[in-house]
Amino acid sequence: MKALFAVVLAVALPALGAAPAAGPAEWRGDLSPISTGDWSAARAAHLLERAGFGGTPEEIAALAAMAPRDAVRQLVYYQSIEDGLPPFDESGIHDPGLEPFPASRPAATDLAKEKGESMGVKVKPEGNRRLQPVANKFFYWLRASRLETHRLAYWWANRMLLTRRPLQEKMALFWHGHFATSEEKVRDYRKMLRQNRLFRDKGTGNFRDLLIGVAQDPAMLAYLDAGVNVKGAPNENFAREIMELFTMGVGNYSERDIREAARAFTGWNFVDLDFTVSPDKHDAGVKRVLGSEGRFDGVDVIDVILSRPVTSEFVAGKIYRYFVRQDLSPELKAALGAKLRESHYEIAPLLETIFLSRDFYSPASVATRIKPPVDLVVSTYRKLGLKEIPGVPDFNDVTEMLGQKLFFPPTVAGWAQGRSWITPGLLLARGNFVYDVVYPDINFVPPDRYPSNDYKIREVNDKLAQGLDVTAATKPDAKDMTSMSMQMADRDEDFNTRLASYRGWQMAIEKVKPIPRATAQVDLPAMVLGAGCRSPREAVDYLLRRFLSVQVDASTQDRIAKFLESEIGTTDLSQARTYLDEPLRTTLHVILSLPEYQLG
Amino acid sequence: MKARALSAMKPSTNGWTRREALKTCLCGMGAGLLYSLPSVFSRAIAAQDAASASRILVVLELSGGNDGLNTLVPYADDAYYRLRPKIGIRPNRLRRIDERYGFNPGMAGFERLFKDGRMAIVHGCGYAQPSFSHFTSMAYWHTGAPNSGEEYGWVGRLADAVDPGVTPNFLVNVEDSQSLAVRSHDHVPVVFDDPERFGRKGLHQERPLLDQIARLDGDENPSERYLLEVAQSAREASQLVREAWAKYKTPVDYGIVPLDLPKIASLIAAGMPTRLYYTAYRHNAFDTHVQQAELHRRLLTYVSDAVAGFMRDLERIGRADDVALMIFSEFGRRVPENTSLGTDHGTANHMYLVGKKVTGGHYGAPPSLAALDAGDNLVFTTDFRRVYATVIEGWLKAPSDKVLRGKFEPFPVFA
Repeated sequence: MKALFAVVLAVALPALGAAPAAGPAEWRGDLSPISTGDWSAARAAHLLERAGFGGTPEEIAALAAMAPRDAVRQLVYYQSIEDGLPPFDESGIHDPGLEPFPASRPAATDLAKEKGESMGVKVKPEGNRRLQPVANKFFYWLRASRLETHRLAYWWANRMLLTRRPLQEKMALFWHGHFATSEEKVRDYRKMLRQNRLFRDKGTGNFRDLLIGVAQDPAMLAYLDAGVNVKGAPNENFAREIMELFTMGVGNYSERDIREAARAFTGWNFVDLDFTVSPDKHDAGVKRVLGSEGRFDGVDVIDVILSRPVTSEFVAGKIYRYFVRQDLSPELKAALGAKLRESHYEIAPLLETIFLSRDFYSPASVATRIKPPVDLVVSTYRKLGLKEIPGVPDFNDVTEMLGQKLFFPPTVAGWAQGRSWITPGLLLARGNFVYDVVYPDINFVPPDRYPSNDYKIREVNDKLAQGLDVTAATKPDAKDMTSMSMQMADRDEDFNTRLASYRGWQMAIEKVKPIPRATAQVDLPAMVLGAGCRSPREAVDYLLRRFLSVQVDASTQDRIAKFLESEIGTTDLSQARTYLDEPLRTTLHVILSLPEYQLG
Repeated sequence: MKARALSAMKPSTNGWTRREALKTCLCGMGAGLLYSLPSVFSRAIAAQDAASASRILVVLELSGGNDGLNTLVPYADDAYYRLRPKIGIRPNRLRRIDERYGFNPGMAGFERLFKDGRMAIVHGCGYAQPSFSHFTSMAYWHTGAPNSGEEYGWVGRLADAVDPGVTPNFLVNVEDSQSLAVRSHDHVPVVFDDPERFGRKGLHQERPLLDQIARLDGDENPSERYLLEVAQSAREASQLVREAWAKYKTPVDYGIVPLDLPKIASLIAAGMPTRLYYTAYRHNAFDTHVQQAELHRRLLTYVSDAVAGFMRDLERIGRADDVALMIFSEFGRRVPENTSLGTDHGTANHMYLVGKKVTGGHYGAPPSLAALDAGDNLVFTTDFRRVYATVIEGWLKAPSDKVLRGKFEPFPVFA
């Protein structure tokens, strides 16, 4: 019995008594690999925290039992590991009539006025509000695609939680921020899904393949207005972002380079989900980009860009700052860039170098990274041992609140990393997320059914049911109405926008499958008792080690232990077994509300 | 030529003629001398000016590069219509404010504010060697230090200069993440988005633990230290902000997109010690490359409604005399329209100063539409830091050269 206990303890508390994760200060900036003798459970935990979404004690122990090189290689070269995760279960909201989807509501109704039909819906020949069904269809797709994108985010988050290839999902997340594209503008979940697959399939492969894939990706082409970039009238948006954000960074090209590169990308566009090139819209003339000259097309320009050393340094530096730390010396940046160039832009070898380096385990790197919101949420669930992302609290609402909503990056530059994740408001919100996990809100209303953010839809719904006519039901009831914008009611008698907005929501929730709304299935008593904890002090110590990457000071630890003790009314945990759940939930909330929990 | 045309306008309320105002800004003489007094002396003035101690500056950023030429249209200039044949706004649709300029049709609020003499328009604001990147140019405006590696924001440095005692809650940034503009050496800015959620959930019995924040002992790594400082600021500010917001009820209509101005009004109404507020129309909203007309008008209506509402609300609260609002964008847009009925990234732009104590009118020289640079862009005429200097010296009565790392001559907007 005693022997069995000891084994459980050894597996469950790998960090206990082990050396701290951070190595000597001299390791900083040193890219040479750590040796087997340097390997420990704490360092394996650090690796999983960065190369994945954190680990349970079991996962950490498994990694710690390997040689460091094997551990890193298992994470980086994951192709032979079965992932066994299901594909996205589409609701089936799209129909071919929707293509090409109009750029705006006015564009949709104008088209219908002109052609008698739009988005596969015909204009009524006679009667009131002849264009109403057209307007309804427009709003249907906007809302349905958005809701389906929320389901897509759930699907992805579940992959992050359950995958046996954590680095694959982590790199997909990195590229999502690097090649930021938002459903807000793309308005087509299918394109977002297609792009997400690209990041997953090519995320650790060759950067050239990935970059070309992105440059020809319908979501990206839609996001950066590729459709309007045509011969004789180049639009610079796309070329500028490729140079500034995707490959070189500001200061390494001229405005002229952008204009010339834009010409090379003319004619690139998409039809539905396919990349297309229109030869009649492509400028086949000679361009001069970054000192090279030729009848370039987009791929040629990408190759010119990749031939510049600054590109490899920019990309390698960004990967490093994402996985290791924000401050990067010019020497280290140059060394990482050289590494990427030597491997001809293969990303996996660079990742292997980084994760095996002494620098990665130096005090400057360990437990200094502020977890981005998605990392925070997924790793919390992972460390709790959950088998699915809870439906309550809503994953998308939580991550949006914390500043990182999947498929909705704020701008083309993606998400700023590091300290910008934390403000006084956001720090409190991070603690509140944990509260909502351990104490699910009984007032929770599913945002994928109930239009929480749009009171107008709810109002129209109620007024129509009371028998009001459409005009009365949709009349805005503003306050003093002195502003101009409040008075901009839709005066087009062919349709009513507010009615369309309401009907669009109704049609969308008929089609889009609901998100399952289970709360987090946690069994904290089983967790701490299973780990062999006998006293409140041991339980607190265990939870701190399981969840935090830094050691908190003794007095804090002491106060939390005393708190748990007073909540359970005994120093013997097993005696409190039958009512241990709630005190442990409160204790976990306190622990995960420590500012230190934000470090990974 | 331009100067003469402008000087024909009506004198401004403080007796200055346009010509004199222009001379000042163009030649750096005249009233400019008043503002380049040694800082010791201006500090003495500041001490005497008790009123300035309650003065508040609100900065509103329009992110994405607002198209200034379609915001305040130089309708008397044929070049404008020549360069913008499709998206140029016809004179009869404009809200004309004088014989040269008219606001975008969506901007009833701005029209009113200007005609009431509560809005100063500063022309041609920009900087040398302009960046066409949103992020770089915005960083220059945030730091007030173009083409340099300045680490702190100008509003953050201003807080350190005006409030060396580091008053808690002196600097507020309503945004979803902290702006570089408020990054400060000494102050921890209060940054929040939704006041109702700016608080900690927690059961009664865990409160003492949640509110206790570990003391800094010097062993922390820099990230940890940062987190502990932010935690401290969150604890100090969150209750005040929540209470202010809960108490605040306004009959004033701020329009469909009130921005964060009602939140700021609630804090001012509650008497928060905050003197510097920073907020933004977020997420590159003004980046109008394609089919811009309708979208741009809508954005401007929202801004104009919100700003006008804010001013009415301050009047209601009784603090209109104490607040000045400054509005800017990281750049204007290319003068010729592009072929997608939109505009690309450009250079110089207007800045706006709004408030009851503002001497309304035009300041600075409008850049010529007939003499664009090689990239078809306006050539800036006013270093934007002169406008920063205007609010620092003229409004907050503090010396600006240390904050701005150089001498920039203020405009006589706050006479």
